[in-house]
Amino acid sequence: MICRAALSRGSQLAIRRQGARGFAAAASPKASYEPTTIAGVKVAARDDNGPTTRLAIVAKAGTRYEPLPGLTVGLEEFAFKNTQKRSALRITRESELLGGQLTAYHTREALVLQANFLREDLPYFTELLAEVVSQTRYTTHEFHEEVKDVIHLKQAKVGASAVALDAAHSVAFHSGLGAPVYPTPNTPVDSYLNENAVAAFAESAYTKANIAIVADGASEAGLQKWIEPFFKAVPASGSPLSSSAAKYHGGEARIPSVTGNSVVIAFPGAALGASQPETAVLTGLLGGESNVKWSPGFSLLSQATAAAPGAVAKATNYAYSDAGLLTIEISGQASAVKKVAEESVKALKAVAEGGVSQEQLVKAIAKAKFTLLSGSEVSGVGLVHAGANLIHGGSPLKVAETLQALESVTGDKLKAAAKALLEGKASVASVGDLHVLPFAEELGLQV
Amino acid sequence: MPLIPYTLAPFIQARPWLSKLFKPLAGWYHGAAGYRQMGLRADDLISEENETVLQALRRLPPKEAYDRIYRIRRATQLSLQQKILPRAEWTKPEEDVPYLSPVLEQLDAELKERAALDTLAPLKKH
Repeated sequence: MICRAALSRGSQLAIRRQGARGFAAAASPKASYEPTTIAGVKVAARDDNGPTTRLAIVAKAGTRYEPLPGLTVGLEEFAFKNTQKRSALRITRESELLGGQLTAYHTREALVLQANFLREDLPYFTELLAEVVSQTRYTTHEFHEEVKDVIHLKQAKVGASAVALDAAHSVAFHSGLGAPVYPTPNTPVDSYLNENAVAAFAESAYTKANIAIVADGASEAGLQKWIEPFFKAVPASGSPLSSSAAKYHGGEARIPSVTGNSVVIAFPGAALGASQPETAVLTGLLGGESNVKWSPGFSLLSQATAAAPGAVAKATNYAYSDAGLLTIEISGQASAVKKVAEESVKALKAVAEGGVSQEQLVKAIAKAKFTLLSGSEVSGVGLVHAGANLIHGGSPLKVAETLQALESVTGDKLKAAAKALLEGKASVASVGDLHVLPFAEELGLQV
Repeated sequence: MPLIPYTLAPFIQARPWLSKLFKPLAGWYHGAAGYRQMGLRADDLISEENETVLQALRRLPPKEAYDRIYRIRRATQLSLQQKILPRAEWTKPEEDVPYLSPVLEQLDAELKERAALDTLAPLKKH
């Protein structure tokens, strides 16, 4: 039951906010963490004195940096397996007893080993993560009995939209960032992926220079105390993992599939920490995902999908350390996907020609601000962002300045940005029923 | 279940004088058992009709597994023919190394650990 006092307080606040009418009035937020270095390891920590802690090791070992296809996936699946000190089973059972959760996942640039646990168990989980990083045994039998099977199961689950996004990255960036984030069953990885290759990759991936620790809800003193002894065994540096600087190429890829239909339209976007506020606002303007319940939403892509039920669309700016990709991902029934793809390119062209109304601009800026601020927090999505920023040597986001830049975006700037995107080369990937799905040229895009 | 349920071996091995006394006897016993004359190794004699041993066999490197099958087939053939190998082809004592029992021990340890963790009773700190 909602208590009456709370209700009235909420409405009072809302009224007060309305009176101030200030999007900018959000009391100049600061960067949410201060990067430090403890015993040679880069650390980003934030402590809100809550009862739980999220501790993550973010290694610069995403698919972009893998020397052979599939190694990042192999390394991810080998996380929390047998180490020199204890077995995988013991690791699982012990953390279950402590109420902790262990996860490993990866993005194109980073491999993340994360532990969520109760605040007082910091020493145990710090030791565990250090042990996983430095003393995993990469045994042959585990590879054949567990790792390989899990990879095959996960490969079978890669859907049409993921394949389309990978294909768009591939035509946009070729190698490096173009490597698929999860290999599909048709990707030949078995000849490269074995426990020895993974162990060799781990040696260069898990070095002090190549990892960062991100802690949300852990005290600075605790980290200072425990990181030093436990991370002693982690080598300071190894043979560096190299990846050539990302270069945008653009093009078109069409892949037949019976699992689903998806079209990804991509343009060069904003890199991590790049000052391209127009891209962020344009992403907010295109939107796609509804912010309110029981409504398709009011963003440009929502309007496009409303006309063609059976498809969903969303715009995202995938930001990497030295490049970005602004994508429109559409998936659903083939005919609806086609319609939405046509409509969304039309909408983008309308922005490039006629600009946007003031109301749409205000909404888009507000959305861009929310995305930016929630990404810059250390909790949630920001955990990976913060880690990725640290391992690439970036400084934490200057929130106040970036917010100011977002507010300074005008309709004309947006118009120019959209025009530049449409004049440049696009990357278009279609996966599914190719008889129906359109070619980039039919959509009116240059590839 | 361990490979050999009751054994004095660790007791003897821990005492150098006793182990010196038993060494020739052990050598004689291995020779008299007759498996070396058939070209087998001691670990080839472990019965494989058992989940643990089957799992251990799956964990062998492909070369080891192939060689094992070769030795067993050769020994079966010899047994049918009521023959033994020519003396030069007998398994030499230095070739008779355990290749399966270390894997079995590792599996036993895994099973024991699992059983221990399954029957664990956590004690509350408070």
